[in-house]
Amino acid sequence: MFKSTNLDMFTFPFTNFKNKTYRYSNDLVALGEDNVNFMKITPEYKVQIKHKREKLDKQPDVRYQSFPHTMEMQWEFVELLIDLAVDKYPEHFSIEKNGDQWTFSNHILEETETFIFGDESSISLEPYDMIGRHFHHDFMLMVNRDDNFYLEVAQESFAALFSPNWNLGMSFNEIHGPVPFVSRDGVELADRIRKFLLTIEPGAPRTRVNWNLMADRWDVNYETMDIWGPERHKVTKENAGKLVHLRVEEQWFIRMPRSNAILFVLDTQFLPLEDLVKRPEWLEITHFNLADIPDYMAEYKGMAPFLPQSVEYLKNLIDTIKVK
Amino acid sequence: MYNSPVLYDQSETIKEELTFNDKRRKHLIIYDQKAVSDIKQVLAKDSQEELEYEHFEIEKSVNLQDLRTLLYSQKIGTHLYIASDWDHAVTVFTEAVEAGFTEDEIQTIIYGPKRRYIYCMKCYNTSEINYDDEVQCTHCDAHMEVGPFFSKVRKGYIGYPFIPN
Repeated sequence: MFKSTNLDMFTFPFTNFKNKTYRYSNDLVALGEDNVNFMKITPEYKVQIKHKREKLDKQPDVRYQSFPHTMEMQWEFVELLIDLAVDKYPEHFSIEKNGDQWTFSNHILEETETFIFGDESSISLEPYDMIGRHFHHDFMLMVNRDDNFYLEVAQESFAALFSPNWNLGMSFNEIHGPVPFVSRDGVELADRIRKFLLTIEPGAPRTRVNWNLMADRWDVNYETMDIWGPERHKVTKENAGKLVHLRVEEQWFIRMPRSNAILFVLDTQFLPLEDLVKRPEWLEITHFNLADIPDYMAEYKGMAPFLPQSVEYLKNLIDTIKVK
Repeated sequence: MYNSPVLYDQSETIKEELTFNDKRRKHLIIYDQKAVSDIKQVLAKDSQEELEYEHFEIEKSVNLQDLRTLLYSQKIGTHLYIASDWDHAVTVFTEAVEAGFTEDEIQTIIYGPKRRYIYCMKCYNTSEINYDDEVQCTHCDAHMEVGPFFSKVRKGYIGYPFIPN
């Protein structure tokens, strides 16, 4: 598997939590113009794509789901991803358009996709699935109907308690049913975020960063709970540095201009706790935040069985550095 | 529709006893033999002259052709009441949704036990369950904890897999 090796490209989740501790909130923010494009090619690109395609090939029902009526939106998604990729990385991606005959080239993987835009019979996979396999992100397309968002297409390979197969067709509120947090005025957090998403307009995406800890695992979906559930208990204060990874989800919420759907994009990054030593400031802030996680949040995030060992590992690591 | 309402044991349409919605112009009551006497009693007691009532009695089994003709001929303002055992209620509910009724326009009164299903996250099949917290999938034998979340698309509660001690 992989970890982030270029820390300048790693999205450290506690940047704004130096002197205060992390709590759940509606923390979506607007993006600066230079950061609207979510495309990011890191040194791990090839490994991520290999991993993603293996999951999609071996477990198609688990990793990809769509409704048959979504084809028009899927083509809109194809166009969006190609535009963003070519715009940000013209040296890595290119597109040739001859009327409806399109050829997309991925120069990193030395692959081309030739298809008739708008004609799914011209490709072997569904359009969303085809183009999504060139980028390491997870993609969820949520259709806006009756003041809510319904999941109608999803391609996912780094799940954190999410399943395209289970969540297909659910509303935003149904998907977030397991989110237990309530604001000070008693409104459910998920419902506040739903209302906020309604205000997102085309061309002005929003972003937020979510984080978690993973015990020797890159995806924790419902389908494999019987496996990763017990494995969380093998973490000790000695092995936490290698086994436990800081898992960061950089999320984008993008309003699709034609379908009015919201595209939810996840860029999932992993950093083993032992690598925090490369950025001593990150190490201290991470320890400060993890040491203060309340039990209910640790339970919800699934890290309760190995959080104390992880905190102790970080504390020992900080002490070691100070002694040196 | 792919994510239309479905009848399940926690459906907001299920009520303990039939109560007429006085904001609707017309009341359409569909009932089976288990509900006959209750329905006749309610109608005798609560019906009002200025409102319109229509009944449809299910005798042994549901005649789908007649049921569809009845449901599709209804106009806006009709409230549907289903009073029957679970299987008849599911048939009528499903046909009513197909004909355009929303959950707000349906009231369901179940006679006898309600059926519940679990969706196995190992094999993606549904199995009928009772009210136990833990069950075994009837298709792949996986052990599952019955979750509180229901999928209208999968028509079951989520089954979280676990390995028993």
